[in-house]
Amino acid sequence: MKASRSILAVLLATSFSTVAMAADVVKIAITGPFSGGSAPMGVSMRDGAKLAISQINQNGGINVAGRKMKIELIERDDEGKNDRGALVAQEISSMGDISAVIGTVNTGVAVMGDKYYVEKGIVKIITPAAGSASMTQWSKAGVKDLPIFRFASHDGIQAQMVVEKALKLGFTNVAILHDATNYGVSGRDDLIEQISRQGGKLKVVSVEKFAIGDKDMTGQLIKAKSAGAQAILIWGIGPELAAVASGKEKLGFKVPMIGGWTLSMSNFIDTAGASGNGALMPQTFIEDESIARAKPFIQAYHKAYAVSRIPSPVSAAQGYDAALLLAEAIHEAGSTTPSKIKLSLENLKVTVKGAIADWKKPWSKWNPSNVETHEAFRRATTVMGKVQNGRVVLANPSEKFVLEGTAVK
Amino acid sequence: MDAKYIALAQMAVGGGLMGMAYALVAYGFQLTYAAGKAVNFGQGELVMLGAFTGISLAGSGLPYGVSVLGAMVAGAALGWFVERVAVRLALKQHNEGWILLTIIVGLFALSFVENIWGRDDRPFPVPWPAAPLDFYGISVTWPELAIAMGALGIMIFVELAKRYTMAGIAVQAVSADPEAAELCGVRSSSAISLSWAVSGAAAAFAGTVIGPVTTVGPTMAAALTLKAFSVAVVAGLDSGFGLVIAGIALGAAENLSGYVLGSGWREAPGLLLLILALALRPQGIFGKKIIRKV
Repeated sequence: MKASRSILAVLLATSFSTVAMAADVVKIAITGPFSGGSAPMGVSMRDGAKLAISQINQNGGINVAGRKMKIELIERDDEGKNDRGALVAQEISSMGDISAVIGTVNTGVAVMGDKYYVEKGIVKIITPAAGSASMTQWSKAGVKDLPIFRFASHDGIQAQMVVEKALKLGFTNVAILHDATNYGVSGRDDLIEQISRQGGKLKVVSVEKFAIGDKDMTGQLIKAKSAGAQAILIWGIGPELAAVASGKEKLGFKVPMIGGWTLSMSNFIDTAGASGNGALMPQTFIEDESIARAKPFIQAYHKAYAVSRIPSPVSAAQGYDAALLLAEAIHEAGSTTPSKIKLSLENLKVTVKGAIADWKKPWSKWNPSNVETHEAFRRATTVMGKVQNGRVVLANPSEKFVLEGTAVK
Repeated sequence: MDAKYIALAQMAVGGGLMGMAYALVAYGFQLTYAAGKAVNFGQGELVMLGAFTGISLAGSGLPYGVSVLGAMVAGAALGWFVERVAVRLALKQHNEGWILLTIIVGLFALSFVENIWGRDDRPFPVPWPAAPLDFYGISVTWPELAIAMGALGIMIFVELAKRYTMAGIAVQAVSADPEAAELCGVRSSSAISLSWAVSGAAAAFAGTVIGPVTTVGPTMAAALTLKAFSVAVVAGLDSGFGLVIAGIALGAAENLSGYVLGSGWREAPGLLLLILALALRPQGIFGKKIIRKV
């Protein structure tokens, strides 16, 4: 009897203490594919963001209107599936006490799920999903007040760089290969638009698609080869990109692959092996400790997760910087209310020193006719990376200054 | 030769070689069907488990050949296990519960693998040379050849064992007439167990040769089971090497239709083939029509 009474007392005491604690935390959700073909990006983004958050919490938390508040995380695996992503977004937006969301890797997930956040006005920083549709859907719908921000070099920029690179390498005939997802299809459209915008000097001799899970790409590659393609411009994710690389090897079709940043995914690099060498892709971050700005983050990540290589360095660094920016916005808002956080994200006063750059006012007030207002990255902040013996290195070492860069925008 | 025909030949050859994988898995169906009139609808999961076991053994430093053997032993144990827990009782009671039970065991295997190895696809390292072989302009990779050689090798080995070993002859006796075999002193339950173990080993072997081509993941064999079953049904569940022809035909037809009609049409010919075969020759193209006298 006595024992049970004391247990009750302890239980009561702890339940009160959690109530008291709850008022002192900021709740942030991280969503993304932590399993499946997109997992290297989802896991790296999550772990990068968690690294920033644990550093903030170790320093006592975020100063919100004079009170130190710790960050509490909610994690949800959307498995990279559109329907699952929509469910996750519904769940998080109905929790009622979430201040902001970081995440989403798959453009289709953003297209299916973000409407729930917009309805409830919950702030979301999309990273690292790059597909154009995740932002253009809001400008097309003419949404006046948007709590969705993007922190990734979007496909418009990436397609521009891919086409620039193909022209620079002196190609005239290219094939476009893409997967059949929202990401792949919008990537194809971005490429075709960029080709005509850059003077139509590239001739697209073949456009082929493939499905998620396809392992045999010889059919698509034979068509590209017989049409005389000198390079393959490609939009897809790791496993299928690797299948394309090994199909190229099989057919002795030795042309470069130039494509979206997904060519830097570890499941592309590892599965493709030697056949992946030389693949070119836009990057916002390179896992190279000789870059002074990146070094502390790379070392902290390796130490925290006991790895010697980040599965998707771009995702990790973007997750890290996005979390820092969000924390700064909550501090400047002096509130955990999403609408106030949104206003301060649109007008950040302090320059945030990140692993990628010094972020000086990365976003501005949303203008439906200009999605760039809620896009943080520009062409000038993105470099070209290249797969080389299991790692991504700078395609052009002289571009290192971009990643060292001090003030952006 | 015209480039257009070389392309078509390339697609047909690549598909045909993958079709040997269908034939190998279908052969597993045939083995258990002959002995006990039941098949394992979780055969695809055995393929996948075999591949994961092989990858883990190879990852622990064992040579490829030993890893493959290890995977086959594990596959044999699993095949035996499925028969023992999921099939035997249901068959004794003359109900069709084994269909569901083998599917359930397969689903368990899937969850098991997802929890142990994770959901991501991973490459299966092999000792073969990376450079493809060239036959008159048609490229064939070593892992593809390994599928074809391995499938034929296993089938020939088992067929010989069935004809020239005591155990094999016992299995054949049971498949012809279990009661008569029992009267001659063959324990039919052991013969059936043996055929399930061999079927499991064949599935695991299939995993270790398919893995290097398709990469290894929990869902690698989801489509494979269905295709292999189609091959088994089209060829006839007692057709022997008819499976090889049906497998090659299905693989080649898939690849050709994907190439000619577009990648979305890959699966269409297999299904058409299945419907046609069921309508025209329900006992299978190479199957024997069995007339039962009551």
